[in-house]
Amino acid sequence: MTVFLENWFIKSAYKINLGSLLFCGEVMKCFDLHVSPAFSEGRSSPEQIIERARLLGFSGICLVDGIKNYKPHREIKSSFDTKKFGIFIGFEATKASDLDRLVGKRREFDILIVKGGDLKINRRAVETPEVDILSIPEYERIDSGFNHIMAKLAKTNQVALEINFREALNSHKSTRSHIMQKMALNMMLAKKFRVPVITTSGAFSHLQLKDPYILSSFGVLLGLTPEESRAAISKTPEDIITVSKEKQAEEWIMLGVKVVK
Amino acid sequence: MDNARGEGGEMKGLKNLPLSLRERKRYIAFKIIPEEGEDFTYSDLQAGIWNTLLDFLGEYGVSRTSFWLMKDCWDEGQKMGILRCNHKSIDVVLTSLGMIDRLGDNRITFKILNITGTINSIKKKNYCSFKG
Repeated sequence: MTVFLENWFIKSAYKINLGSLLFCGEVMKCFDLHVSPAFSEGRSSPEQIIERARLLGFSGICLVDGIKNYKPHREIKSSFDTKKFGIFIGFEATKASDLDRLVGKRREFDILIVKGGDLKINRRAVETPEVDILSIPEYERIDSGFNHIMAKLAKTNQVALEINFREALNSHKSTRSHIMQKMALNMMLAKKFRVPVITTSGAFSHLQLKDPYILSSFGVLLGLTPEESRAAISKTPEDIITVSKEKQAEEWIMLGVKVVK
Repeated sequence: MDNARGEGGEMKGLKNLPLSLRERKRYIAFKIIPEEGEDFTYSDLQAGIWNTLLDFLGEYGVSRTSFWLMKDCWDEGQKMGILRCNHKSIDVVLTSLGMIDRLGDNRITFKILNITGTINSIKKKNYCSFKG
């Protein structure tokens, strides 16, 4: 009887696991929250990116711009049917001064991303509750740029840590292995301190957009469990979008505090 | 008499392994989306996939995946194909496919259509034109 029950459990667990993989593109809503279109540093128009993202099975994407020529890009959202496919506008800060400016305009756009690399900006990002995503804290560093103290702060302020696929895609040989080693270290800290993790393609053109299956698998290679990895492309980005909508509301003051009329 | 031996007792071939001892395979159906006006051949695809896998995983790493690109199942018109690996290495194989952004001089994107445990379930969903 025990053997029968064990076998049944193994078989049913196998079915659930395989089934959830099968439905990744159809049932799970997948999001890519870091894509740079032509109006930013990218090379493809928003139309090309949106068409390719739909084809790959995403339910929504975030088009990310820099602070240089600040413009809320409301016309992009209005020109597409955002009920069928979610289009979000994000801004990326690379310096502390940019971050201050963007925090002041936080209600005008959907997602605030901080491009890490410098220790000061990494720290500022995880200390600021207005920030949604800390991208590539290990950028051009010998160390991983993220430690246990930053992890605790990121958890408190609900700043998600990003796994950027483009970093691995555009590097080769020893550089790629170093980058992946640092990413894996950051993932270990994120798992231990329960920091939200998202996986993005970080695409600069529609050709660099990756299938949700591929993004999910990349997370598993970096040490996430299959469930955590799937959440990194579906549930966590969805939560970020929900919280972001709250942050855009006039009633919002800070995390957990809002004006009740 | 042993099924693997002929009438004279000579070896006909290896006897099949029992189901419990066989490797658990996974079949990955994929579609390649090329850029407009760009085309590639099957040999480009084969070279691109194998070179990327060997670069990313190394010779030993690829040997652990039991990777195989199934030539019979390549649909030239639809640009759809099937590859096989073992159940433990789906993630490394999929990530390696993600590392491919060019086949020869042509820019492409991989779309994963389905992952199944048997080739028949892929054929039922018409991801494979080969019916043999």
